[in-house]
Amino acid sequence: MNKNVKTFHGGIHPACDGKSLSNGVSVQRAPLLDKYRVVISENVGKPPKPVVEAGACVKKYQLIAAADGFVSANLHAPTSGRVTGIVEVPGAMGVPVQAIEIEADGADEAGELLPALDWRNCDVALLRKRVEEAGLVGMGGAAFPTHVKLSPPPEKKVDVLVLNGAECEPYLTADHRLMVEQPEAVLEGAAISARILGVTKIYIGVEINKADAIDALNAHAAEFGIEVVPLKVQYPQGSEKQLIFAITGRKVPAGGLPMDAGCVVQNVGTAAALADAVIRGIPLVERIVTVTGEVVAHPGNWLLKIGTPVIRVVEWAGGVTEEPGKLILGGPMMGFAQKSFDVTVTKNTSGILLLPRTVAVTYGSSPCIRCGRCVAGCPMNLVPCALGNAVEAERFDLAAQNHVMDCLECGSCAYVCPAHRPLVQHMRRAKAEIRKRKK
Amino acid sequence: MKYLELTVGAVLVYNFVLSRFLGICPFLGVSKRLGTAMGMSGAVIFVMTLASFITSLLYRHVLRFEYDGRTVDIGFLQVLLFILVIAGLVQLIEIMLQKLSPMLYQALGIYLPLITTNCAVLGAATINANNNYTVLEATVFGFFSGVGFALALLLFASLRERLDLAAVPAPFKGTAIALITAGILAMAFVGFSGLC
Amino acid sequence: MGTLTAAVMVMAGIGLALGVVIGFFAKLFQVKSDARVELVTELLPGANCGGCGKAGCSDFAKSVVSGENPPSKCPVSSKEQVTAIALALGIDAGESFAKKAVVCCGGDREQTLRLANYNGVLDCVSASLVAGGPKGCAYGCLGMGTCARKCPFGAIEIINGLAVIHKELCVGCGTCVAVCPRNVIKLVPAEAEVHVYCNSPAKGPAKKQVCRVPCLGCRKCVRAAEGKFTVNGFRAEVNYQAPELPTAEDVQKIGCPTGCLLTAEEHLRIEMNEPEWSAGKDE
Repeated sequence: MNKNVKTFHGGIHPACDGKSLSNGVSVQRAPLLDKYRVVISENVGKPPKPVVEAGACVKKYQLIAAADGFVSANLHAPTSGRVTGIVEVPGAMGVPVQAIEIEADGADEAGELLPALDWRNCDVALLRKRVEEAGLVGMGGAAFPTHVKLSPPPEKKVDVLVLNGAECEPYLTADHRLMVEQPEAVLEGAAISARILGVTKIYIGVEINKADAIDALNAHAAEFGIEVVPLKVQYPQGSEKQLIFAITGRKVPAGGLPMDAGCVVQNVGTAAALADAVIRGIPLVERIVTVTGEVVAHPGNWLLKIGTPVIRVVEWAGGVTEEPGKLILGGPMMGFAQKSFDVTVTKNTSGILLLPRTVAVTYGSSPCIRCGRCVAGCPMNLVPCALGNAVEAERFDLAAQNHVMDCLECGSCAYVCPAHRPLVQHMRRAKAEIRKRKK
Repeated sequence: MKYLELTVGAVLVYNFVLSRFLGICPFLGVSKRLGTAMGMSGAVIFVMTLASFITSLLYRHVLRFEYDGRTVDIGFLQVLLFILVIAGLVQLIEIMLQKLSPMLYQALGIYLPLITTNCAVLGAATINANNNYTVLEATVFGFFSGVGFALALLLFASLRERLDLAAVPAPFKGTAIALITAGILAMAFVGFSGLC
Repeated sequence: MGTLTAAVMVMAGIGLALGVVIGFFAKLFQVKSDARVELVTELLPGANCGGCGKAGCSDFAKSVVSGENPPSKCPVSSKEQVTAIALALGIDAGESFAKKAVVCCGGDREQTLRLANYNGVLDCVSASLVAGGPKGCAYGCLGMGTCARKCPFGAIEIINGLAVIHKELCVGCGTCVAVCPRNVIKLVPAEAEVHVYCNSPAKGPAKKQVCRVPCLGCRKCVRAAEGKFTVNGFRAEVNYQAPELPTAEDVQKIGCPTGCLLTAEEHLRIEMNEPEWSAGKDE
């Protein structure tokens, strides 16, 4: 392996990363469904307020829920049809959530689009407003409203934009295919974001197992003044703080945000969607989702409208070859295990992963043997074993003292633990308890 | 040389808690948290040093004195007098602590007045008397006995903080595992025997 | 000088000297403490449960003396104890409602479907962070005993994956209410005998899919016992504010179709007498 590729300290590399299942298949367009259920509270922050009533007819791209406050994002209709009302659907986090149900009329007729903008010359405020109007959120998984990210407070000096094309999660190839098939959209989106932020240094980090993506990006990168940085294949390379360190050598202070290190990190999918919104005036209503796993008949990537039920996507992918043991939205490391196939695709669904029963085995955990593998594997330089013990003794004060709040929940510690200790779950509990106490 | 022997002996070889088994009550009582253990250690060092100094003065000059050409020996009052002095000192500490550090005062709770009946303090005074130490020797011995107590208490408190996080089988939880730990700690201190 | 005289003089002299020194220091380091606070602390239960919202009994005593809280704010003290405190301070006792906790869920392992095979930490808070917990009902008791471990009075027992409160041990401190991630435990007036053992605001058919003992919101109880029940969304609730609380006879008369309206004793009896849940029946 090339020793010169950049990386960070800690982390793991899962032996079987499952990328080959889907990274060679072109993105496919999904057929039109008769019903979509668009989850209202997709973004981090305040959920938007529905602006359509039951029975109303909507066109594709029409606003159906308007942002409520600054940290909130607009929601648009994925297709034309009739709104049947607000229904409860299983959410990706396991708790039922509210969704706007739209009965498609089959025409998929687009409503009035936002005017196209000449991003190189128009006013920056106009660009920022467009990002807000288009309902863009971080598509890497966090679903943080993009316009908020692109409006750092003036006292934080941001001079670097880092584009996240690492896609370190095993199995997922959505960003990979996007970079191979639409490199220009990604690069242009990055350039627009940079203009909004007023920065000139733009990096795009890609793990070296995506050689074709690096080539595709390099073919056009010079036009936009963007540097493509090959990164070592190591999980969690795509985590903001690790990515910033690998590319710029800067460290985000504990408890801080990337902008505290002068950086803004954006997912490549978000950048492509941003380019669409600015250049063509199309709001965010569909995204590329990896449908994969050993039990899926034809794994691949699909361009899905938000609000598509997962069960239909699996059908399109040829169904399953055997009974799946686990359904995960997102990647196997940080994704969310699901209880129901009725969950719907949201703006931050990067993958639909079906694992066979043999992989989704259940382990019993045993006491910590103090081998220290979790310490070596933690990308945040924490001591997960000690934190786990503190949580088991319900000493959340001790966990807080030992910086449990800096944990990314990346799962590297639990992955390497020979005693199969549920470390991530302990961290999560500690974080939840500490947050509760702060209130 | 004599003072070195006195020091090492008091702190390590004849450690009050782990070799002489005196002062076990506060040793078990206030060793749950390192912070309170530190406060207790400070209080005991203070009381022990002062008590050793005063009691040795009393022992050498008050309990046996010449009067009118005759020797008056009231050595039988030794224990009574020592306890009186120690109780007075502890009372002083308590009054001062309540004003200066109410938090520590609360944390030490009942164990603070119990220093009065702490056999380690009386033990130090009695050992001074039995060995016929001079006032300086007695004070040094008292101080380092206190340090020895503090060492044992802090070690044990740190161990117990770690024990809090360990998965202890139900029958051993709490005092049981603490006593086992104390036993092992005492065994470790046997290693110092013969040093002086 | 005789030995006796010497002994008396020495003891008296040293005693006097110490007395003077201590007296001097006591004056120097005087701490003004309110005797009333200590008195009230003494009268409080001393469990330091935190049910009043203060850091412990002595903290609460301070707030009572300062007039911030009425003595009745202590949920653990009996009426007599509260009156004693009020009398000692010469203040009004405040309106006192003795409370007890009740787990508003009847869905144990047998009754409620579990949608996932949970293989994590056996703790409700931890479990609820993983896909909202394995239970089919998103509002019911997870039964992993977080409340039982936290209860300072040992009043909660987990039977067949359901937390059940032993009323005679519960003092209504509210510790369990605070720790439950599902908010399924409620504090109710101590004299209330009858409760609706369902916490789900979901629609009836949705509840029926996952649970055998849900409240379907049929309003049978509301119609049969006027004013004693209210319907909140799709779930009936006992109207604990009503002048008359429902009784065992009311339960008999109403005959709840799903059996989620029960007296506390009946609920406990049912849960205790159910056959032991065995592994393998799951899923």
